[in-house]
Amino acid sequence: MQRHAAGGKSLPAMSLRNRMAFYYTVATAFLMAVVFAAILLMVDRIVFMHFDEELRHEVAETLEDAHIKGQIFNGFDSFRGIDGTAEEVGEHKSLEKKKDLDSEFIQLVDSSGKVVRKSPNLSRNLLTFNSAYSGVRYFNSLIDSVQVRQVQVPLVNPNGIAEAYLIVAVPMKSAMIVLLDLQNIMLVSFPAIILILFILTRAIAGRSIRPIEEVIATAETMTQANLDQRIPLPRNHDELYRLSVTINALLDRLQDAFQREKQFTADASHELKTPLAVVKGTLDVLVRKPRESAHYEERIRYCLDELNRMARLIDQLLMLARYEDDTLNPNIAKIDIEASLQSVMSRLEPLTIEKLISIRMESTSSGTIAADPAMLEMMFENILSNAIKYSPAGSSIEIGIARRSALLVCTITDHGVGIPEEKLQNVFDRFYRVDESRSSSTGGFGLGLSIVRKLADLQHIGISVSSRENAGTIFEMTFPAA
Amino acid sequence: MRLLVIEDETGIARFLKEGLEEEYFAVDIAFDGKSGLDLAMTNDYDLIMVDWMIPGISGIEVCKQIRKSGNSVPILFLTARDTLEDVVFGLDSGANDYIKKPFEFEELLARIRVQLRKTTQDGDAQTVGSLTINAVTHQVFCGSKEFTLTPKEFALLDYLVRNKDRPCSRSRIIEHVWDMHFYSDTSVIDVYINFLRKKLEQAGCGNLIQTIRGVGYIVRETRPGTQ
Repeated sequence: MQRHAAGGKSLPAMSLRNRMAFYYTVATAFLMAVVFAAILLMVDRIVFMHFDEELRHEVAETLEDAHIKGQIFNGFDSFRGIDGTAEEVGEHKSLEKKKDLDSEFIQLVDSSGKVVRKSPNLSRNLLTFNSAYSGVRYFNSLIDSVQVRQVQVPLVNPNGIAEAYLIVAVPMKSAMIVLLDLQNIMLVSFPAIILILFILTRAIAGRSIRPIEEVIATAETMTQANLDQRIPLPRNHDELYRLSVTINALLDRLQDAFQREKQFTADASHELKTPLAVVKGTLDVLVRKPRESAHYEERIRYCLDELNRMARLIDQLLMLARYEDDTLNPNIAKIDIEASLQSVMSRLEPLTIEKLISIRMESTSSGTIAADPAMLEMMFENILSNAIKYSPAGSSIEIGIARRSALLVCTITDHGVGIPEEKLQNVFDRFYRVDESRSSSTGGFGLGLSIVRKLADLQHIGISVSSRENAGTIFEMTFPAA
Repeated sequence: MRLLVIEDETGIARFLKEGLEEEYFAVDIAFDGKSGLDLAMTNDYDLIMVDWMIPGISGIEVCKQIRKSGNSVPILFLTARDTLEDVVFGLDSGANDYIKKPFEFEELLARIRVQLRKTTQDGDAQTVGSLTINAVTHQVFCGSKEFTLTPKEFALLDYLVRNKDRPCSRSRIIEHVWDMHFYSDTSVIDVYINFLRKKLEQAGCGNLIQTIRGVGYIVRETRPGTQ
C-alpha cells in the first residue's frame, strides 16, 4: 500500500479496495470503448459497402438498359428508360419501381450540369451534381432532407471527354436508423456497464482483502500489554496467509526480545536492590539502640562487603551495557594465544593456590590469532575463574590449544560440578545461574558468561559449551586465523 | 507475637530477626519456600513475611498455599519487585500488604502493627482495668504510674492483654511468645507469669492474670467479689 510521496498528497486517500476496483474499471472501460468504437466503425463500413454495391448494380443495370458499354456516351435518347419514355422497352416493372420513393433515384445530366432525364420518383427534386468530380464517385447527399447515398458516373465520348453524367442514389433512412440506434445503445450501456463493473469489482476486492482488515484490526489492538496476541491465519494458503505468518513470526521475535529485556531489567533491579536493602536494613537496626563496639564493627564490615559486591555488580552491568553496543569496534591485533592465557593464569593465581587447583596447558599448535587483547583476556579470565569456582579443591583444569583445519581451537576443561543438560543452553543468558539459590555463596551474578558471549560475538570468536553433571564442563572457543 | 520470615537473602533475614526481636517479637526464619510453607502450616504465627523470589516454591505460591489451607494469618510481601503489575499480582495472590525493598525498618514495624491491630481490632495501646500497655513505645502503665518489664515479660503480657477475656492455653502462649528454637517444657511460662504477677502487684494492678486450672491463664478486669 505504498504511496508516492508526491502523489500521495494530491490524491485523495483511497482505500486499497476502491483503488483496485477503480483501476480495474478504468482498464475495462478503455477496452470496452475501443471494442464499441470498432464495432460501430465496422458496421458503418459494411452498411456503406452494401449501399455502394447496390448503387454499382443499379448503374450497371441502367447502362445495360441504355446499351452502353464501357461508359461510352451514345446520346441522351438511349436513356429513355429512366423517365419512363421508353415504352418500347416495356419494362413496366422497373417503371413502377421507379415511382417508389424507397427505391433508387436516377438522374442524367449533360456536361454543363443541366438535367436531361430523371426518374419519376424524384418528382420536383434533383440529385446533387458536382462537376468537380471527374471519375466515378460515391458520396452522401440529401434529397428533400432525406439522406441518400449516391454515385456519379461520367459518360464519355470516344476521346475520353465527359459528355454526360449518370447519377444514381439510394435512400439510407432505415440503415441510418439502425446505425443510430446501435450507437445510442452503446452510449447508454457503456456507463451503465462501467458502473455495475465498478460495484462488482469493489465487492470482490473487498472480499479478497478482508483478511487484511483482520490483520489491521489485530495489529491496531496490539500493545506492550498484549504482545501475546496473534493474527488469525486465513484458510487459504495464499499471499495473505504468508503475510500473516510473517507478521506473527515478527511478533514472536518482538515478544521474545521484549520479554528478555523485561526479565533483564527485573533481574538487574532485584540484584541491585537486595544488597541495598541488606545494607540499609542492617544499619537501620544497628542505630536503633546503643551497641557494643565489636557489634558495630562486625555489622559495618558486613555492610562494606555487601557494598563491594554491589560495586562489582555495577561494574559488570556497565561492562555488559558497553559491549551491548554492536557498533563497538574491537581493536583486533595479532595475539599469541598462549601468552594471553599465561597472563590471565598468573592473575588468577591467588584463587588457584587457595583451592589447590592446578592448571595445565597443552598446546599442539603455535597459535597466533586475530583478537582484541583486552577483550580476549577478559574472556579467558571469566571462563577460567568460573572453572575454578565450580571445581572441587585439589582438582585440575586443562587448557588445550589445537589446530582444526584453518581454525585454532582452544578448550578449557574443568572437573567440577558440571551443568545439567537442560540448563546448558541458558548459561550464556544474563543473570542466569545454574544453581538457583541466589545466595552469594559462589559470589557470582550470572553475568560473567553473558559478557564472554558478547565479547566472543564482537571478535567473531565461536564459543560453545558442553558438560556432564558431576564430571565437568568444557568451553570451546574457535578463533579465526590471524 | 510470633512472626515467620521466609527470606533467602541471609543479610536481610539476619537484620530482620535482630530488629524484630528487639521489638519483643518471636521470629522464625525460613530460607526457602518449602521449609517456609512447612513452618507456616505447622505453627500458629501472628504474621508471616515472604520474599517473592525464593528458591524452591516461590513466595507467591507459598502465599496461595497458605490461603488455600484456610489460614487467614496476615502476610506481608517483602520484595525487590516493584512494578505496578508485581504489586497487584502479589496482593491478589493473598498478601495483606506489600513492602518494596529497600525499605525503612520503622515503616516495616508500623505496617506489622497495622496487620496485628486488624486481627485484634485494637489500637497500639490497650488497657485492662487500670493497666495500659503500649506496643509501640513498649511502655506499661498502672494508672498513670509507669513500670518496667523485661522483653520476654512484656511480650507475654502483651499477648495476654491482646487476648483479654479469652483463656490462653500454655501451648498457645508458647507458640506466640517464644520462637521455634525454644523447646523446653511449658513450665517456663509459669515462671514468667510469677514474675509478671509480682511486678503488677507492686505497681498496684494485682490480680489481672488469673490461672485457669488445667488450661492456662486469662487476663481480665478484676471484678469485686471474684477471687
